[in-house]
Amino acid sequence: MKRSLQQIALLVAKDLRIEARGKQTVGLVIVLGVLIIVVLGMGLGTGGPGAPMSGFKSTAILWVAYLFGGVLCFEKTMAVERQDDALAGLLVAPLDRGALYIAKLLSNLTLMFVLALVVTPVAILLFRFDLSTHPWGFVIVMALGMTGFAAIGTLFAAAVSSTRLQGGLLALLVFPLSLPVVHASTQMMRKMFEEGEALSGGGLATLLAFDLMFLALSWFVFELVLEP
Amino acid sequence: MSTLRFLTWGYWLLTLALFAATVTMVFTYTPVEETMGVVQKIFYLHLPVAINTFAAAAMVFIASIGYLWERKAWWDDLAAAAGKITALLCAVVLLTGMIWGRSAWGHWWTWSPRLTFSLVLFLLYVVYLMIRPSIESPQRRAMVCAVYGIIAFLDVPLVYLSVKMMPDFHPSSIALAPPMKLTLLAWFLPVTLLAAGLIVTRFTLNCRLRELGERREEEAHQPATEPLGGIA
Repeated sequence: MKRSLQQIALLVAKDLRIEARGKQTVGLVIVLGVLIIVVLGMGLGTGGPGAPMSGFKSTAILWVAYLFGGVLCFEKTMAVERQDDALAGLLVAPLDRGALYIAKLLSNLTLMFVLALVVTPVAILLFRFDLSTHPWGFVIVMALGMTGFAAIGTLFAAAVSSTRLQGGLLALLVFPLSLPVVHASTQMMRKMFEEGEALSGGGLATLLAFDLMFLALSWFVFELVLEP
Repeated sequence: MSTLRFLTWGYWLLTLALFAATVTMVFTYTPVEETMGVVQKIFYLHLPVAINTFAAAAMVFIASIGYLWERKAWWDDLAAAAGKITALLCAVVLLTGMIWGRSAWGHWWTWSPRLTFSLVLFLLYVVYLMIRPSIESPQRRAMVCAVYGIIAFLDVPLVYLSVKMMPDFHPSSIALAPPMKLTLLAWFLPVTLLAAGLIVTRFTLNCRLRELGERREEEAHQPATEPLGGIA
């Protein structure tokens, strides 16, 4: 167990070090996220000058930014391993493939959280979205949603990284499968920010069930999809 | 005519005859529903097709597990066939549901939990069909599709749970008169026969196409044995 944790920590540190040196993914996803917020904000409008955008609309737009940014993160963190056949080196190393999956997942989640840390305040500023009514509800729902989304995204990024049409294909695979997460979290946001209800246990249980099921399944089949 | 061909023709003729009988039953034996009128009759097709959609999706799931377990290509052929029929049946469920909804609620589409559920299910399996030609290597295609097929099926209860959070006005249970119940039960037979027949036909075709592709590849890799005549 301790050995696996050490392996995971080393792999995550490696991924984040590569990212810190190149700064390719973070810059790209943040700019994309801000652009999505601006474009959708313009399209949907705030209901006239001076009127804030509804909490439900704001969180839905944020989700779109997280989803597209997330897909880019999954692609980039896996593309790093395909360069110079680095993945072959990882596969012959005495590493548990499950540890490799968890490490990739944690790297992706870190990048997505950085994206959220920049993009969410931009949305709050531009839409005058009042997060103060349920700040922790927002954080918990988004964190659980992102974890489920990243669990699926990390698995399929490894599966399709060696195929052609990689970019479009990954989004095509990941978006429909993560619809329950997106749907459950947007419904919870609607209840919290439009109807003023507290965080619902049923919704949280759905998100948790999704996260646990896909984490377990992805961990189990990751070894199979890595085969050449 | 070979026995297999004879049986195939018999199967399709029986399915067609059963369809003709159940359609006649709907318009002659079953009473017209008071509030919705004739449009309600689409329900006899809608429910059996919906149940068969789940059965076909379950077949994709089982075939995908089979492929991951044994790595035999015919499991992938079966999953591909069942995936195609799932998408087709789900499209029928959506269309019949929309026609029913237009009459019941006055709109072709409403974001009710069950309609949303059907739409997500349809999208899941349409994507399953879209990803197949996008991956060139047959082994990698079978692998990615098997993983997708398993996750897509496990997604179904979660989609159901997530849509339950929406406000609902879709009927959860319908009280039916005995002739209506009998007609509904009768419709299960031709619809199930059609779904099973389509899956088996598509599966056979997939197997043949794969074998043909393999044979062509073998021939392409064989060295030319004929001497180049005429060149001195």
